[in-house]
Amino acid sequence: MKNLIAIVGTNSDNSTNRMLLHFIQKHFADRANIEVCEIKDLPGFNKPKDRTAPVQVQKLSDKITQADGVIISTPEYNHSVPAVLKSTLEWFSYTTQPLIDKPVMITGASYGRLGSSRSQAHLRQILDAPELKARIMPSSEFLLGLSLQAFDENGDLKDQRKIDELDAIFEDYLQFVDITNQLVNSNKAHKQRAQKFSWEDN
Amino acid sequence: MKIVGIVGSNADFSYNRLLLNFIAKKFKKLIDVEVLDIKDVPMFNQSNDQTDSDLIQHLNKKILAADGVIIATPEYNHSIPSALQSVLEWLSFRIHPLDGKPVMIVGASYDVQGSSRSQLHLRQVLDAPGVNAVVMPGNEFLLGEVHKAFDEERNLKDSETTQFLESCIKKFIRFINVVNVMDSPDGMKDLSSTEDLYATGSIDTTIEGINMSDDDWVEQAATKTNAVEGNTYVKLDRGILTVDQINQFLKSMPAELTYADSNNQFLYYNYKYEAEDMLAARRPEQVGNPLAECHPEKAFSGVAWVIQQLRSGKQDIVRTHVPTHGPDKFVVHSYQAVRDEDGNYLGINEYVRDIKPTIDWYLEQTGQQLTGGGVDAVSGATSKVDTVSGATVKDK
Repeated sequence: MKNLIAIVGTNSDNSTNRMLLHFIQKHFADRANIEVCEIKDLPGFNKPKDRTAPVQVQKLSDKITQADGVIISTPEYNHSVPAVLKSTLEWFSYTTQPLIDKPVMITGASYGRLGSSRSQAHLRQILDAPELKARIMPSSEFLLGLSLQAFDENGDLKDQRKIDELDAIFEDYLQFVDITNQLVNSNKAHKQRAQKFSWEDN
Repeated sequence: MKIVGIVGSNADFSYNRLLLNFIAKKFKKLIDVEVLDIKDVPMFNQSNDQTDSDLIQHLNKKILAADGVIIATPEYNHSIPSALQSVLEWLSFRIHPLDGKPVMIVGASYDVQGSSRSQLHLRQVLDAPGVNAVVMPGNEFLLGEVHKAFDEERNLKDSETTQFLESCIKKFIRFINVVNVMDSPDGMKDLSSTEDLYATGSIDTTIEGINMSDDDWVEQAATKTNAVEGNTYVKLDRGILTVDQINQFLKSMPAELTYADSNNQFLYYNYKYEAEDMLAARRPEQVGNPLAECHPEKAFSGVAWVIQQLRSGKQDIVRTHVPTHGPDKFVVHSYQAVRDEDGNYLGINEYVRDIKPTIDWYLEQTGQQLTGGGVDAVSGATSKVDTVSGATVKDK
């Protein structure tokens, strides 16, 4: 079975994105081992002089390196990704770079109808930056709108159509992980390029 | 024009900070720029509300009091830095100082992109309903390969880049004027509810227990407070005068003076002429009235707008030309904010003058004449306020 890391893209105590990832973890327990990880206690990014990651960042980074793939669930703040998620990705790009060629699936939940559509678009662009270089699953979008009403008391999605949609996307994702991890040829070159990528000298 | 420049990075050394400092220095004749840092602002967290912290309130107040904001952003991972994102989240959570505020975006980066992609993200973020800034369209200023862009004095080396930056800044000034016209009382919004024009509250100096509408409010208030009068000496900031001397001194001012306090109560005018002989009519029995009783209801929105400009610190003075005295006079009402040493708003000093004799005298003395028509490209956008400066003075 594949080992996946699921990242809650917010530091809020109450988060329907957290609920969504816990549902995914439970719902696909027979298809993958999913560990839900928090970023709420990571320090805010500030270029460290020695380019060393803080301990918490290093820990999360190591988990990602060892995992077969990563799921990121993001809310939408001001048409974009929350600062705390951005900060986490800045740490990764500036220090440990664990996302290079890592298969990533994006999900998102929002209280309104739009289901984080615009923040998911931003997140794709961010993950595509040369210093992050994640392999984002193309042509797939899981948008959970009206997320406050979406779960029952057991934390399960109420709408069967939404579950069917998630099932299909998740099956695709598992295949995408396999395909991506076969594309190892360029991996070495990507890693070298990203390591050489200096925020000062580029 | 007061502008706040926000450094979009929390790095110790930032070329975007250099760029803003350069703008402040180079264009100080055009705009008054205060550069603000965001480096110590905590990470946004809706479960740990720090809106009331000094840092965030400082940014809030500075932005509220500014005519416009320039944000300089680097590009991290194709987007704006989390530090800037976090600030914008704080400024859209419980407070919304950027609502309706004219914003200009600039950016610098080490690579050739010059923050092109982060500027687009920033536009989208500023356009979100919680932020609701009014971002100047076009005029994209991208400064790529920034490590080669500045000389030792920290000036931009390339004169064409500086020229382009200057044209962007000038357009931003016009843009601010246009946005202000949109938001002025001539627009659709009724602003009357933004001020307590009936003076229902009270401040430290409010004289309680007397009906503000009474014709003899002054006499009643004087009795109640044992106010001094006549030849009693009063010690002022730097001088001593009797009450009579203060009265004569204020009456001799070349303007009709009116004082209304921060509670919107009309407290004083330099009573010299009867109402029909004044440029702006006042009657002795009006003193003490709340401002609502001194104006027709249709003027409330405009009155509230003026007070808001002064109270918020957006402007220190609001001027209007009131063209009701024929071509021989040019009557200007100036609403000047009265503030204490700490800048706290205390009230309005309204002074009304016919400035035509002054202008005539100036032209006579300097041998110049007015030629009409040419409106100053920079300051001319607000027609009501700038009627005077719109005419260009030329040598004979």
